[in-house]
Amino acid sequence: MATVTRPVTTARFSPAAIRGLGLAACAALLVVVSLLSLRFGAVSISTADAWDALFHYDASSYDQAVVRSLRLPRTIIGLGAGAALAVAGATIQATTRNPLGDPSILGINSGAAFAIVTAVFFGGMVDSHQYIWFAFTGALAASALVYLVASAGRGGATPVKLALAGAIVAALLSSWTTALLLLDEQTLDVVRFWLAGSLAGRELDAFWTVLPFLVAGVAGALLLSRQLNVLSLGDDTARALGMNTTRVRIISAGLVVLMAGGAVAAAGPIAFIGLAVPHIVRTMTGPDYRWILAYSVLVGPMLLLGADIAGRLVVRPAELQVGVITAFCGAPLLILIARSRRVAEL
Amino acid sequence: MSAVPIVERRRPVANVYLGPVAFRVDVRCLALIAGGLAVLAVLAAWTMTLGSFPIPLTEVVKSTVGAGKPEHEFIVRELRLPRVLCAVLVGALLATAGAVFQGVVRNPLVSPDIIGIDAGASLVAVWWIVTGRDTTFLPVVAFGGAAAAAMGIYLVTWRGGVAPGRLILVGIGVNALLGAATTFLMTRYPIERVSNAMLWTTGSVYATSWADVRVLAGTLGVLLPLTVSLMWPLRVLQFGDDTAKGMGMRVEVVRLGLLLSGCGLAAVAVSIAGPVGFVAFVVPHIARMLAGPMTGGVLVLTAVAGGILLLAADTVGQHFLPVALPVGVVTAALGAPYFLFLLYRVNARL
Amino acid sequence: MNSEHGGRLRTGELTLAYGSQPVVTDLSLGLPDGQVTTIIGANACGKSTLLRALARLMKPSNGAVYFDGQAIHRLPAKEVARRLGLLAQQSNAPEGVTVEDLVRRGRYPHQSFLQPPSRDDHEAVERALELTGMQPLRHRPVDELSGGQRQRAWIAMALAQDTPVLLLDEPTTYLDIAHQHEVLSLVRRLNREEGRTVVMVLHDINEAAAVSDRIVALRDGAVLADGAPDEVLRPELLERVFGVECDVVAHPRDSRPVSIPRSRLARRGSRTPEVEPRGELRAHGLRLGYGKREVVPGLSTEIPAGEVTVIVGANACGKSTVLRALGRLVEPRAGQAMLDGRDVHRYRHREFARRVGVLPQSPVPPPDLLVEDLVAAGRYPHQRWYRQWSRADARAVERALAATGTEDLRGRPVAQLSGGQRQRAFLAMTLAREAPVLLLDEPTTFLDIAHQVEVLDLVREANRERGVTVLMVLHDLALACRYADRLIAMKDGAVVAAGTPAEVMTPELVQAVFGVEACVVENGQSGAPLVLPVYGHRDDGGRQAVLAGRAAVEARTPRTRAHTEVT
Repeated sequence: MATVTRPVTTARFSPAAIRGLGLAACAALLVVVSLLSLRFGAVSISTADAWDALFHYDASSYDQAVVRSLRLPRTIIGLGAGAALAVAGATIQATTRNPLGDPSILGINSGAAFAIVTAVFFGGMVDSHQYIWFAFTGALAASALVYLVASAGRGGATPVKLALAGAIVAALLSSWTTALLLLDEQTLDVVRFWLAGSLAGRELDAFWTVLPFLVAGVAGALLLSRQLNVLSLGDDTARALGMNTTRVRIISAGLVVLMAGGAVAAAGPIAFIGLAVPHIVRTMTGPDYRWILAYSVLVGPMLLLGADIAGRLVVRPAELQVGVITAFCGAPLLILIARSRRVAEL
Repeated sequence: MSAVPIVERRRPVANVYLGPVAFRVDVRCLALIAGGLAVLAVLAAWTMTLGSFPIPLTEVVKSTVGAGKPEHEFIVRELRLPRVLCAVLVGALLATAGAVFQGVVRNPLVSPDIIGIDAGASLVAVWWIVTGRDTTFLPVVAFGGAAAAAMGIYLVTWRGGVAPGRLILVGIGVNALLGAATTFLMTRYPIERVSNAMLWTTGSVYATSWADVRVLAGTLGVLLPLTVSLMWPLRVLQFGDDTAKGMGMRVEVVRLGLLLSGCGLAAVAVSIAGPVGFVAFVVPHIARMLAGPMTGGVLVLTAVAGGILLLAADTVGQHFLPVALPVGVVTAALGAPYFLFLLYRVNARL
Repeated sequence: MNSEHGGRLRTGELTLAYGSQPVVTDLSLGLPDGQVTTIIGANACGKSTLLRALARLMKPSNGAVYFDGQAIHRLPAKEVARRLGLLAQQSNAPEGVTVEDLVRRGRYPHQSFLQPPSRDDHEAVERALELTGMQPLRHRPVDELSGGQRQRAWIAMALAQDTPVLLLDEPTTYLDIAHQHEVLSLVRRLNREEGRTVVMVLHDINEAAAVSDRIVALRDGAVLADGAPDEVLRPELLERVFGVECDVVAHPRDSRPVSIPRSRLARRGSRTPEVEPRGELRAHGLRLGYGKREVVPGLSTEIPAGEVTVIVGANACGKSTVLRALGRLVEPRAGQAMLDGRDVHRYRHREFARRVGVLPQSPVPPPDLLVEDLVAAGRYPHQRWYRQWSRADARAVERALAATGTEDLRGRPVAQLSGGQRQRAFLAMTLAREAPVLLLDEPTTFLDIAHQVEVLDLVREANRERGVTVLMVLHDLALACRYADRLIAMKDGAVVAAGTPAEVMTPELVQAVFGVEACVVENGQSGAPLVLPVYGHRDDGGRQAVLAGRAAVEARTPRTRAHTEVT
């Protein structure tokens, strides 16, 4: 690839080199966004204080304590969850050959939410460390159900069928969730903040439990990128090229559940990061999943933290949950995709 | 490949000719409607005997026509009858709305609660409740929300026409957007009010009045005949826009008419009972299974079946569970497993 | 029967089934090396299923597909992919993938986990691009190419796989004659110059005869005939395969056989004289387009009453758009579409619909709809909300059912009908309108020859017996010439020629409109001209090259051979 120059882009750099540079630029931008996330909020904190809180922590400084105890955890969680959601979305889009792939559209969020609410309702479990296992179970069950229902019949899981099955399973699970919440106001009080999808007030300890899963999921997806490239040519072609498509699908579904389930457990149901990031990234990288996934790892957290910062600033001193912000930004994107000709023709 | 069992289906049809007026009447569908109405009447009467103050069936019937004992008459006519009528009418409105949407979008899996029309009503209503405003205006406000959502979806979908697939995707997007806004409201207000709002968003016919009944009945009286008459062109519209245009139909006019009446039906029902899920979805399927493809007659049957279903669900939720649950929860819990099966089967045939 | 064709790829007692429904039963077939073998048969005869099984995409329920004596379902997937390349039917590239990127993905079976592309990979990609002539287009996104180019890009991908055997599933569907020619010429060259074994499924018999060394005819999942084209293309055999009478003539240039299905109807020109023709269409300076794209820049033509007029032309030349404009489905930007001297847009909606019946391309029936209801829906323009079902409606529906022979199907759901039956039902719906003008957009797409003849015979009958004016768009030139009284040839939105088929169809015109070299001969039965594309010489001195080429392929796949010898 490196020997071929693309007449469209430039005569001096190969596309690979340009994409590499772009990746570095994204990484730098992500560092900046992370610092901003430490600085901004109900109280603004100077860059120097934010920096010191990280590297020369002075426990007596109020500002630095805020950074350490509040801003740092949410930033770290945002980084992890953002990367995981974005890569999960890209993986879903590749394996289903469907531009509407997103953990929330696949019912993963509502599955996790339902499992956690059920656990809190029946077990009275309020320790957020244990959320993760229920989140995984719920995510796995819901996405399996959605895919099963959507892929029935001719043509497999088309965008419309998948979106519908996801919407219906989500509606179903959330009505059950609502029923449980109605029966017990205490459960409602425990989980309602979690349900909104927010980076605030999460415990870092719980995140460390989740982190290995996120890392495993993202790393696995990156290693799978060449298979995803072939799979995106269609099932028959991929199989004719000697790929065991069933195995690749199962592995990538497992990875998606690891990533999305982990992210939901850590940060609550955050919609549309997984939908939006791969589409944004694709405009920079083209259709090669090796690059799409690599960029998603960086752009995902950038977007999530950006949304989180925006949520802190728009209604200061109160806050808007990041899940609400991403839905506000992501839903119009979904509508835009729906209006694009390629999907409309399906 | 030819061993698929060959299905032969004929329906008993009677032709009615009265001068220039000529109709075709599906005899079986008429019989089903009559049977459904009878079931509905029996179920309604029986439901009114139940409650913390049981009333014998004969007394219920007498009280309904105004010939019962005064204390019974109060309970039946002021408390139980409005609730029963509301349940029936809401069920009929939602089921009809579902049938209309499924027909227009040419997808049997669509209903107002999936494509964001209920979400529009919910958002506005939740805002109304959590900000502690006067709840007597709640129906009006919720209707406004539903209608606004419907218009928004229609306008955003419009690109030289309304393609059904696009309408679904846009609807799901709008649903997500409005849902996020509702969640946002719910986290920003004290728990007592949020709890109230939550109750409303599950859908319930608790504490409905004669005023509600009048609104519902009026809507049904106007919109049901309209939609029944629109089923005739809809039958042709289902072949696709080109074929329908080729037959001399003004496709967008018919479609707009159908969508508007569908929205009206759904919005009025939601404004009074909250977004009761799955009725709009499931009932048209049941009706089609009983009586074949959607026609004006089958639409009436759909309305009747919707009334039966919602009344039964409300009765179960009110009297037969350890905790009284709102009807929306019951329809979701009962309808959902069946619905998923249905979804799978419909997809498999698509 | 096939022992003499012992190639490396063969099937043994192969049975294939979808669920419990067998599609192919007990099939033993050898596919000779270094030859082009084409599988033909009627719709749903199991030909595509067989090809999928050969490519290991489908597990046999009994028997096996063998490659060098090994059952391919027991071989690792990648191992098979280094021996067999497949061009799947209707492949869709993801948005924005360039030709080069697509071809490179064909190297997947030769690469292992995390291994960077090797020198071999690079060379194979370059060779594949060169062979298919896609080098100049290598940086273009696949979804922006023309149909023929796109198919070539996909073939290049399969070539990069560097396999001795290439399987192609309907590589020419959706392509017009020029692009069909482009793709099949490439297939032939790959075989002649490279010595690749090619096995493909085609639904056009004459194309199959033109490029194949061997033809396998299937019926109901069993082999009816298997041999050289002139052995297989015999009238009695074709009748057994497709259930339609055919004439077979020799191609004037290279004497290969050409089949012409016979029409049920008597010879052309036998119109019932007392029927008065009705409905004349005219286009006057018609300008048509979608969005920013102008498809037809200004077209004037005449569709005389009482005749069958057919529009032909390359893909995307605007022929369907013209038909849609005359049927009032598209609003012209300028100019007029006229029916009987009056602008079509000045008619009231239903009044126009009562005069012109339009059958759009591949209409989709709603689920569960019965044939009878489908045909009844065709009466819509005659109805009012208070007069939904009059006696006239009932009579018209009966007549339409009788005319199309669909009376026995009336109680069956449309979705369960075969392709030909379904098209007949839709035709009945259009006829039930009893309009004097019929506009049909590609009424024969997806049908095999027997069903094509069946549907077009019905159309002709309506014209001959009731004087109905017919305007059709067809992409099959042979059918167009057979059934048209008048032919309109279009190119780039303009009329190139119009007149009787004999006047219009000249080799020069075919060259000008489609860019294909062709012979035009007179068809014995109907007297209509027959267009026969020329695919180079039949026996070019390529036989030598075949052997040399095969040796080259084998030399390039040492791993395959090594594996064979070990096991």
